[in-house]
Amino acid sequence: MKLFSAIVPALFVALFIYALIKKIKLYDCFADGVKEAIPLLLSLFPYLAAMLMLSELFEASGLASALTDLLAPFFRALGIPPEISKLALLKPFSGSGSTALLSEIFASYGADSYIARCACVAYGSSETVFYISAVYFAGTKKKTAKPILIALFSNFAALVLGCFLCKFL
Amino acid sequence: MLFLDPEGFLSALLSGGQKAATLTLSLLAVYSVWLGFFKVAERSKLSEKLSRAVFPAAKKLFRSNDREALMLASCNLSANFLGLPGAPTPLGKRAAERFCAAGENYAADMLFVLNATSLQLLPTTVIALRLSYGSGSSADIFLPTLLATLFSTLLGALLVFLTRKRRS
Repeated sequence: MKLFSAIVPALFVALFIYALIKKIKLYDCFADGVKEAIPLLLSLFPYLAAMLMLSELFEASGLASALTDLLAPFFRALGIPPEISKLALLKPFSGSGSTALLSEIFASYGADSYIARCACVAYGSSETVFYISAVYFAGTKKKTAKPILIALFSNFAALVLGCFLCKFL
Repeated sequence: MLFLDPEGFLSALLSGGQKAATLTLSLLAVYSVWLGFFKVAERSKLSEKLSRAVFPAAKKLFRSNDREALMLASCNLSANFLGLPGAPTPLGKRAAERFCAAGENYAADMLFVLNATSLQLLPTTVIALRLSYGSGSSADIFLPTLLATLFSTLLGALLVFLTRKRRS
Protein backbone atom coordinates (compact mmCIF):
# COMPACT_ATOMS: atom_id res chain seq x y z
CA MET A 1 0.00 0.00 0.00
CA LYS A 2 2.83 2.37 0.90
CA LEU A 3 4.48 1.65 -2.40
CA PHE A 4 1.26 2.16 -4.25
CA SER A 5 0.45 5.54 -2.75
CA ALA A 6 3.91 6.70 -3.82
CA ILE A 7 2.93 6.38 -7.48
CA VAL A 8 1.14 9.71 -7.73
CA PRO A 9 3.91 11.94 -6.34
CA ALA A 10 6.48 9.94 -8.31
CA LEU A 11 4.53 10.53 -11.53
CA PHE A 12 4.36 14.27 -10.94
CA VAL A 13 8.03 14.64 -10.03
CA ALA A 14 9.15 12.53 -12.99
CA LEU A 15 7.00 14.50 -15.40
CA PHE A 16 8.13 17.89 -14.10
CA ILE A 17 11.80 16.93 -14.29
CA TYR A 18 11.30 15.63 -17.81
CA ALA A 19 9.50 18.84 -18.82
CA LEU A 20 12.27 20.99 -17.36
CA ILE A 21 14.88 19.03 -19.30
CA LYS A 22 12.80 19.62 -22.43
CA LYS A 23 12.81 23.35 -21.56
CA ILE A 24 9.03 23.62 -21.24
CA LYS A 25 7.63 26.66 -19.45
CA LEU A 26 6.28 24.46 -16.71
CA TYR A 27 4.21 27.00 -14.82
CA ASP A 28 2.51 28.54 -17.86
CA CYS A 29 1.92 25.18 -19.42
CA PHE A 30 0.32 23.75 -16.29
CA ALA A 31 -1.91 26.82 -16.03
CA ASP A 32 -2.91 26.37 -19.67
CA GLY A 33 -4.09 22.88 -18.88
CA VAL A 34 -6.04 24.03 -15.84
CA LYS A 35 -7.82 26.58 -18.02
CA GLU A 36 -9.45 23.74 -19.94
CA ALA A 37 -11.17 22.49 -16.81
CA ILE A 38 -13.75 25.27 -16.77
CA PRO A 39 -15.30 24.85 -20.25
CA LEU A 40 -15.22 21.10 -19.72
CA LEU A 41 -17.23 21.40 -16.53
CA LEU A 42 -19.59 24.00 -17.97
CA SER A 43 -20.54 21.59 -20.72
CA LEU A 44 -20.90 18.84 -18.14
CA PHE A 45 -22.96 20.55 -15.47
CA PRO A 46 -26.43 20.47 -17.13
CA TYR A 47 -26.20 16.73 -17.68
CA LEU A 48 -24.90 16.01 -14.21
CA ALA A 49 -27.64 18.12 -12.68
CA ALA A 50 -30.39 16.44 -14.68
CA MET A 51 -29.04 12.98 -13.93
CA LEU A 52 -28.63 13.58 -10.21
CA MET A 53 -32.10 15.08 -9.90
CA LEU A 54 -33.54 12.03 -11.59
CA SER A 55 -31.69 9.65 -9.32
CA GLU A 56 -32.79 11.61 -6.24
CA LEU A 57 -36.38 11.32 -7.43
CA PHE A 58 -35.88 7.63 -8.05
CA GLU A 59 -34.73 7.21 -4.47
CA ALA A 60 -37.27 9.56 -2.84
CA SER A 61 -40.26 8.20 -4.72
CA GLY A 62 -39.69 4.79 -3.20
CA LEU A 63 -39.19 3.29 -6.65
CA ALA A 64 -35.65 2.32 -5.74
CA SER A 65 -36.62 0.34 -2.67
CA ALA A 66 -39.62 -1.16 -4.46
CA LEU A 67 -37.29 -2.34 -7.19
CA THR A 68 -34.88 -3.76 -4.62
CA ASP A 69 -37.69 -5.72 -2.96
CA LEU A 70 -38.93 -6.91 -6.30
CA LEU A 71 -35.53 -8.11 -7.42
CA ALA A 72 -34.41 -9.60 -4.11
CA PRO A 73 -35.66 -13.16 -4.80
CA PHE A 74 -34.03 -13.06 -8.20
CA PHE A 75 -30.75 -11.91 -6.69
CA ARG A 76 -30.96 -14.59 -4.02
CA ALA A 77 -31.46 -17.28 -6.64
CA LEU A 78 -28.18 -16.18 -8.21
CA GLY A 79 -26.33 -16.44 -4.92
CA ILE A 80 -26.24 -12.73 -4.15
CA PRO A 81 -27.10 -11.94 -0.52
CA PRO A 82 -30.14 -9.60 -0.27
CA GLU A 83 -28.09 -7.02 1.63
CA ILE A 84 -25.92 -6.67 -1.45
CA SER A 85 -28.72 -6.15 -3.94
CA LYS A 86 -29.34 -2.62 -2.70
CA LEU A 87 -25.67 -1.79 -3.15
CA ALA A 88 -25.62 -3.34 -6.60
CA LEU A 89 -28.65 -1.28 -7.63
CA LEU A 90 -27.33 1.94 -6.15
CA LYS A 91 -23.79 1.81 -7.50
CA PRO A 92 -24.62 2.68 -11.13
CA PHE A 93 -26.32 5.89 -9.95
CA SER A 94 -24.31 7.18 -7.08
CA GLY A 95 -20.68 6.76 -6.09
CA SER A 96 -20.95 8.61 -2.79
CA GLY A 97 -24.24 6.90 -1.94
CA SER A 98 -22.78 3.47 -2.45
CA THR A 99 -19.67 4.33 -0.44
CA ALA A 100 -21.95 5.31 2.44
CA LEU A 101 -23.90 2.08 2.05
CA LEU A 102 -20.66 0.07 2.02
CA SER A 103 -19.63 1.65 5.34
CA GLU A 104 -23.05 0.80 6.75
CA ILE A 105 -22.60 -2.82 5.74
CA PHE A 106 -19.16 -2.88 7.37
CA ALA A 107 -20.59 -1.38 10.54
CA SER A 108 -23.52 -3.77 10.86
CA TYR A 109 -21.98 -7.04 9.67
CA GLY A 110 -18.28 -6.55 10.48
CA ALA A 111 -15.63 -5.82 7.89
CA ASP A 112 -14.49 -9.44 7.58
CA SER A 113 -17.89 -11.14 7.19
CA TYR A 114 -18.97 -12.88 4.01
CA ILE A 115 -21.57 -10.15 3.38
CA ALA A 116 -18.96 -7.42 3.73
CA ARG A 117 -16.56 -9.17 1.38
CA CYS A 118 -19.31 -9.62 -1.21
CA ALA A 119 -20.11 -5.95 -0.79
CA CYS A 120 -16.46 -5.07 -1.43
CA VAL A 121 -16.49 -7.03 -4.65
CA ALA A 122 -19.84 -5.54 -5.67
CA TYR A 123 -18.45 -2.09 -5.00
CA GLY A 124 -15.03 -2.61 -6.54
CA SER A 125 -16.00 -4.46 -9.68
CA SER A 126 -18.57 -1.97 -10.90
CA GLU A 127 -18.64 1.69 -11.74
CA THR A 128 -21.08 4.58 -11.59
CA VAL A 129 -22.31 3.75 -15.08
CA PHE A 130 -24.86 6.56 -15.39
CA TYR A 131 -22.42 9.16 -14.22
CA ILE A 132 -19.79 8.03 -16.71
CA SER A 133 -22.32 7.98 -19.53
CA ALA A 134 -23.52 11.47 -18.58
CA VAL A 135 -19.94 12.71 -18.67
CA TYR A 136 -18.71 10.91 -21.78
CA PHE A 137 -21.75 11.35 -23.95
CA ALA A 138 -22.72 14.85 -22.80
CA GLY A 139 -23.69 17.00 -25.77
CA THR A 140 -23.22 14.30 -28.39
CA LYS A 141 -26.10 12.98 -30.42
CA LYS A 142 -25.05 9.40 -30.05
CA LYS A 143 -27.41 6.59 -29.08
CA THR A 144 -26.37 5.56 -25.59
CA ALA A 145 -28.79 2.80 -24.68
CA LYS A 146 -26.70 -0.03 -26.08
CA PRO A 147 -23.38 0.73 -24.38
CA ILE A 148 -25.17 1.43 -21.08
CA LEU A 149 -26.97 -1.89 -21.22
CA ILE A 150 -23.75 -3.70 -22.03
CA ALA A 151 -21.95 -2.04 -19.14
CA LEU A 152 -24.76 -2.77 -16.67
CA PHE A 153 -25.03 -6.36 -17.78
CA SER A 154 -21.27 -6.96 -17.57
CA ASN A 155 -21.08 -5.43 -14.12
CA PHE A 156 -23.97 -7.55 -12.99
CA ALA A 157 -22.36 -10.73 -14.33
CA ALA A 158 -19.18 -9.77 -12.49
CA LEU A 159 -21.17 -9.35 -9.29
CA VAL A 160 -22.59 -12.87 -9.56
CA LEU A 161 -19.11 -14.24 -10.20
CA GLY A 162 -17.64 -12.16 -7.36
CA CYS A 163 -20.15 -13.36 -4.75
CA PHE A 164 -19.46 -16.90 -5.84
CA LEU A 165 -15.68 -16.43 -5.63
CA CYS A 166 -15.95 -14.89 -2.17
CA LYS A 167 -17.08 -18.25 -0.83
CA PHE A 168 -13.71 -19.79 -1.63
CA LEU A 169 -11.09 -17.08 -1.88
CA MET B 1 -45.86 8.13 -3.67
CA LEU B 2 -45.03 11.33 -5.56
CA PHE B 3 -48.59 12.53 -5.11
CA LEU B 4 -48.83 11.40 -1.50
CA ASP B 5 -45.79 13.44 -0.65
CA PRO B 6 -45.80 16.48 -2.94
CA GLU B 7 -43.35 18.37 -0.78
CA GLY B 8 -40.81 15.61 -1.14
CA PHE B 9 -40.85 16.08 -4.89
CA LEU B 10 -39.29 19.51 -4.99
CA SER B 11 -36.92 18.77 -2.16
CA ALA B 12 -35.67 15.71 -4.02
CA LEU B 13 -35.03 17.82 -7.12
CA LEU B 14 -33.30 20.47 -5.08
CA SER B 15 -31.10 17.98 -3.32
CA GLY B 16 -30.18 16.54 -6.72
CA GLY B 17 -29.25 20.01 -7.92
CA GLN B 18 -27.27 20.62 -4.76
CA LYS B 19 -25.36 17.41 -5.30
CA ALA B 20 -24.63 18.39 -8.89
CA ALA B 21 -23.30 21.76 -7.73
CA THR B 22 -21.00 20.28 -5.08
CA LEU B 23 -19.90 17.50 -7.40
CA THR B 24 -19.04 20.00 -10.12
CA LEU B 25 -16.98 22.05 -7.70
CA SER B 26 -15.04 19.06 -6.45
CA LEU B 27 -14.57 17.90 -10.04
CA LEU B 28 -13.19 21.33 -10.85
CA ALA B 29 -10.44 20.74 -8.30
CA VAL B 30 -9.67 17.24 -9.58
CA TYR B 31 -9.78 18.18 -13.26
CA SER B 32 -7.58 21.21 -12.69
CA VAL B 33 -4.85 19.04 -11.25
CA TRP B 34 -4.97 16.38 -13.94
CA LEU B 35 -5.57 18.61 -16.94
CA GLY B 36 -2.57 20.67 -15.85
CA PHE B 37 -0.57 17.48 -15.49
CA PHE B 38 -1.57 16.18 -18.90
CA LYS B 39 -0.98 19.50 -20.62
CA VAL B 40 2.61 19.38 -19.43
CA ALA B 41 2.88 15.74 -20.54
CA GLU B 42 1.45 16.67 -23.91
CA ARG B 43 3.62 19.68 -24.58
CA SER B 44 6.80 17.95 -23.47
CA LYS B 45 5.88 15.22 -25.99
CA LEU B 46 6.10 12.63 -23.21
CA SER B 47 2.58 11.30 -23.67
CA GLU B 48 3.21 10.96 -27.39
CA LYS B 49 6.35 8.95 -26.73
CA LEU B 50 4.67 6.67 -24.20
CA SER B 51 1.54 6.12 -26.24
CA ARG B 52 3.57 5.16 -29.29
CA ALA B 53 4.27 1.85 -27.54
CA VAL B 54 0.60 1.04 -27.04
CA PHE B 55 -0.53 2.69 -30.25
CA PRO B 56 -0.84 -0.45 -32.44
CA ALA B 57 -2.85 -2.20 -29.74
CA ALA B 58 -5.09 0.84 -29.22
CA LYS B 59 -5.68 1.07 -32.96
CA LYS B 60 -6.90 -2.53 -33.03
CA LEU B 61 -8.98 -2.16 -29.90
CA PHE B 62 -10.82 0.98 -30.97
CA ARG B 63 -10.70 0.45 -34.74
CA SER B 64 -9.85 4.06 -35.29
CA ASN B 65 -7.06 5.99 -36.93
CA ASP B 66 -7.48 9.24 -35.05
CA ARG B 67 -4.03 9.65 -33.50
CA GLU B 68 -4.96 12.21 -30.92
CA ALA B 69 -8.11 10.45 -29.76
CA LEU B 70 -6.24 7.15 -29.52
CA MET B 71 -3.53 8.79 -27.44
CA LEU B 72 -6.12 10.25 -25.08
CA ALA B 73 -7.89 6.90 -24.88
CA SER B 74 -4.72 4.98 -24.06
CA CYS B 75 -3.79 7.51 -21.37
CA ASN B 76 -7.33 7.15 -20.03
CA LEU B 77 -7.03 3.36 -19.83
CA SER B 78 -3.64 3.49 -18.09
CA ALA B 79 -4.92 6.05 -15.59
CA ASN B 80 -7.91 3.79 -14.91
CA PHE B 81 -5.71 0.81 -14.40
CA LEU B 82 -3.44 2.60 -11.96
CA GLY B 83 -6.50 3.89 -10.12
CA LEU B 84 -5.36 7.52 -10.22
CA PRO B 85 -8.37 9.18 -8.63
CA GLY B 86 -10.15 11.53 -11.05
CA ALA B 87 -7.52 11.35 -13.77
CA PRO B 88 -9.33 9.09 -16.27
CA THR B 89 -12.51 11.15 -16.66
CA PRO B 90 -11.24 14.34 -18.34
CA LEU B 91 -9.09 12.27 -20.71
CA GLY B 92 -11.90 9.86 -21.52
CA LYS B 93 -14.31 12.72 -22.02
CA ARG B 94 -12.04 14.36 -24.58
CA ALA B 95 -11.38 11.08 -26.38
CA ALA B 96 -15.11 10.25 -26.45
CA GLU B 97 -15.89 13.70 -27.82
CA ARG B 98 -13.45 13.21 -30.68
CA PHE B 99 -14.72 9.71 -31.42
CA CYS B 100 -18.34 10.88 -31.42
CA ALA B 101 -17.63 13.93 -33.56
CA ALA B 102 -15.98 11.70 -36.15
CA GLY B 103 -18.93 9.32 -36.05
CA GLU B 104 -16.77 6.50 -34.71
CA ASN B 105 -19.48 4.97 -32.59
CA TYR B 106 -17.68 1.69 -32.12
CA ALA B 107 -14.67 3.42 -30.58
CA ALA B 108 -16.86 5.57 -28.35
CA ASP B 109 -18.87 2.57 -27.15
CA MET B 110 -15.73 0.56 -26.49
CA LEU B 111 -14.13 3.38 -24.53
CA PHE B 112 -17.26 3.89 -22.46
CA VAL B 113 -17.76 0.21 -21.69
CA LEU B 114 -14.11 -0.26 -20.72
CA ASN B 115 -14.44 2.67 -18.34
CA ALA B 116 -17.83 1.69 -16.99
CA THR B 117 -16.78 -1.86 -16.14
CA SER B 118 -13.89 -0.61 -14.01
CA LEU B 119 -10.53 -2.15 -14.71
CA GLN B 120 -8.79 -1.00 -11.58
CA LEU B 121 -5.77 -2.97 -10.44
CA LEU B 122 -6.02 -2.20 -6.73
CA PRO B 123 -9.37 -1.29 -5.13
CA THR B 124 -7.72 1.32 -2.89
CA THR B 125 -10.92 2.95 -1.62
CA VAL B 126 -12.40 -0.32 -0.48
CA ILE B 127 -9.22 -1.51 1.19
CA ALA B 128 -8.82 1.77 3.08
CA LEU B 129 -12.45 1.68 4.17
CA ARG B 130 -12.22 -1.92 5.39
CA LEU B 131 -9.10 -1.07 7.33
CA SER B 132 -10.89 1.78 9.07
CA TYR B 133 -13.62 -0.65 10.17
CA GLY B 134 -11.07 -2.88 11.85
CA SER B 135 -10.66 -5.56 9.21
CA GLY B 136 -7.98 -8.12 10.04
CA SER B 137 -7.16 -8.89 6.43
CA SER B 138 -8.25 -5.86 4.47
CA ALA B 139 -6.49 -6.85 1.26
CA ASP B 140 -7.99 -10.34 0.90
CA ILE B 141 -10.76 -9.04 -1.36
CA PHE B 142 -8.08 -8.12 -3.88
CA LEU B 143 -8.19 -11.40 -5.78
CA PRO B 144 -11.98 -11.86 -6.08
CA THR B 145 -12.39 -8.19 -7.04
CA LEU B 146 -9.66 -8.40 -9.63
CA LEU B 147 -11.12 -11.56 -11.17
CA ALA B 148 -14.65 -10.15 -11.15
CA THR B 149 -13.63 -6.85 -12.67
CA LEU B 150 -11.43 -8.53 -15.26
CA PHE B 151 -14.38 -10.69 -16.17
CA SER B 152 -16.75 -7.73 -16.50
CA THR B 153 -14.28 -5.79 -18.65
CA LEU B 154 -13.67 -8.69 -21.00
CA LEU B 155 -17.36 -9.50 -21.21
CA GLY B 156 -18.20 -5.86 -21.93
CA ALA B 157 -15.55 -5.56 -24.63
CA LEU B 158 -16.71 -8.80 -26.19
CA LEU B 159 -20.33 -7.65 -26.23
CA VAL B 160 -19.38 -4.34 -27.85
CA PHE B 161 -17.43 -6.28 -30.43
CA LEU B 162 -20.26 -8.71 -31.12
CA THR B 163 -22.97 -6.07 -31.39
CA ARG B 164 -21.00 -3.74 -33.66
CA LYS B 165 -22.45 -2.48 -36.89
CA ARG B 166 -20.47 -3.75 -39.80
CA ARG B 167 -19.18 -1.00 -41.98
CA SER B 168 -19.31 -1.49 -45.71
